[in-house]
Amino acid sequence: MRELLSARRVALLGGVYSNHLALEAALADARARGAEAIFCLGDLGGFGPHPDRVFPLLRDAGVTSVQGNYDLSVAQGAVDCACGYTDPRDTHFARLSYEYTVRNTSTENRRWLRALPPTLKVALGDTRLLLCHGSPRRINEFLWETTTPNGLLERFCRETESDLLCFTHTGIKWHRALPSGRHALNVGALGRPENDGAPRVWYTLLTADHELSVEFVPVSYDHETLAREMTREGLPDEFVETIRSGWWTCCLESMPVKERSRGRY
Amino acid sequence: MLGLSVRAPRDIAASSSAPRVEFRELEQVWFQITGTLCNLACRHCFNSSGPHEPWLAGLDVETVRRHIREAETLGAREFYFTGGEPFLHPEILALLADALAVAPTTVLTNGTLIDDPTADRLTQLAAAALYSLEIRVSLDAPTAAENDAIRGRGSFAKALAAVRRLVARDLYPIVTATEIAAPPGSPSLYERLHAMLRAAGVARPRIKILPVLPTGRCESRGDGRRLTAGDLEGFDPARLQCTRTRAVAAGGVYACPILAGLPGARLAGEGLAAALGPTALAHPACSTCYETGIACGNS
Repeated sequence: MRELLSARRVALLGGVYSNHLALEAALADARARGAEAIFCLGDLGGFGPHPDRVFPLLRDAGVTSVQGNYDLSVAQGAVDCACGYTDPRDTHFARLSYEYTVRNTSTENRRWLRALPPTLKVALGDTRLLLCHGSPRRINEFLWETTTPNGLLERFCRETESDLLCFTHTGIKWHRALPSGRHALNVGALGRPENDGAPRVWYTLLTADHELSVEFVPVSYDHETLAREMTREGLPDEFVETIRSGWWTCCLESMPVKERSRGRY
Repeated sequence: MLGLSVRAPRDIAASSSAPRVEFRELEQVWFQITGTLCNLACRHCFNSSGPHEPWLAGLDVETVRRHIREAETLGAREFYFTGGEPFLHPEILALLADALAVAPTTVLTNGTLIDDPTADRLTQLAAAALYSLEIRVSLDAPTAAENDAIRGRGSFAKALAAVRRLVARDLYPIVTATEIAAPPGSPSLYERLHAMLRAAGVARPRIKILPVLPTGRCESRGDGRRLTAGDLEGFDPARLQCTRTRAVAAGGVYACPILAGLPGARLAGEGLAAALGPTALAHPACSTCYETGIACGNS
């Protein structure tokens, strides 16, 4: 059964990655733009500083979250983040990020993460939405724009009885209308910029009018303050550089060649 | 050429005691496009490919196109073209275009046949496609001496030239190496390859390391161990690529690219849908897959 949302406009937030300053800015922006409901598609921690700071922001704003792979790993005290990296350098940085996040996430917040659902089915007007972190079948599946074929997306829609699939995990937004008229939407990420040389981050607004519209919304925030916090917390310089420059410096090996060629590294 | 034999790998003994794993869902579809026809004859080749009397024939255009169309209806995620050497197939570029129209596609090559005109054509294919075209170039060691002892004289220089041509066109190939020549105690093969590629002016080196498989010309390196039902107790079968992969080769559809062409591993004579049943883990290479978690795919 799907919950029918009374809202006409909803905001969808991708991976937060402990970026509490971007989250605060995005929540304010979404309210200002008339979002009546806000969903987060998981991965609250990782990469950024002070992971516990995002939880009160989400709770106070009434954000409904699904569980990401990071959330599941932190909740379970797993050996790694299960991000799906296979390259040794990526694995090294993922380990640093994960160990810091686990060390600095409270027991109470871990319990909260454990209780998050892996997927949510809601209806916005006549549109049936499926909200998940990676893909409907796997919490850490990377659905990049250039490696996710229409045939697979159509199958996901059929199997989940959905008109619009919403996911995150890769950190780069995209939207595609499928041949059947259904849609696939990667909502982007709030936690780090999307490898385009700009420090801003993105979230997504859905508006149900005559038909559903999708709008990607840029969010500028005090990234310099975040960068300083990360340095003070001893997080890797490579992470800090990404926050300042907008270019990814690591965790690049899972990225397909088309997306990779658009970045600096 | 190294003058090695090109005999067929030993077939899987049809054994009722081999443990079986259920198929989950179709993600990767591999095409053994040139069978075992290759212009090199590497000492460790897992399917004994070479230039003379290949034991496995290549695929014709219509067979490939038929399976591409079927894979699309089944919701497959990606295609891989391998061999042998795929660029020996006269229609390889047209078939890559057909595959890219449906899903992201990877071609595994030794790089020796990628000259400037071929690199230009690949660039055009990649630019025209919505989906990514990945090119995996095999190099087994970071020096010509080490690599050519495995892959044949001159192969290092030609493969590195191909990598440079592709990088110059923003195609950023994935250099793929097996651990066949990694000397014990030295820095990791990954680090040595990375340093070599950077020194050679290759921006953004992308590297994938694979274990040596105890099959084909390296059959004698294995201990011949075969999995038993007890090995699967408490083991997540999803770690095995045969739960989500199928390979199309001469003669039918097979469980995975490592076993492609071996009659005992054939799951169907024609069509992917008929080959989505359980797989018997009957080959010694299944033990390697089980122990190393090898992923023949890109990630």
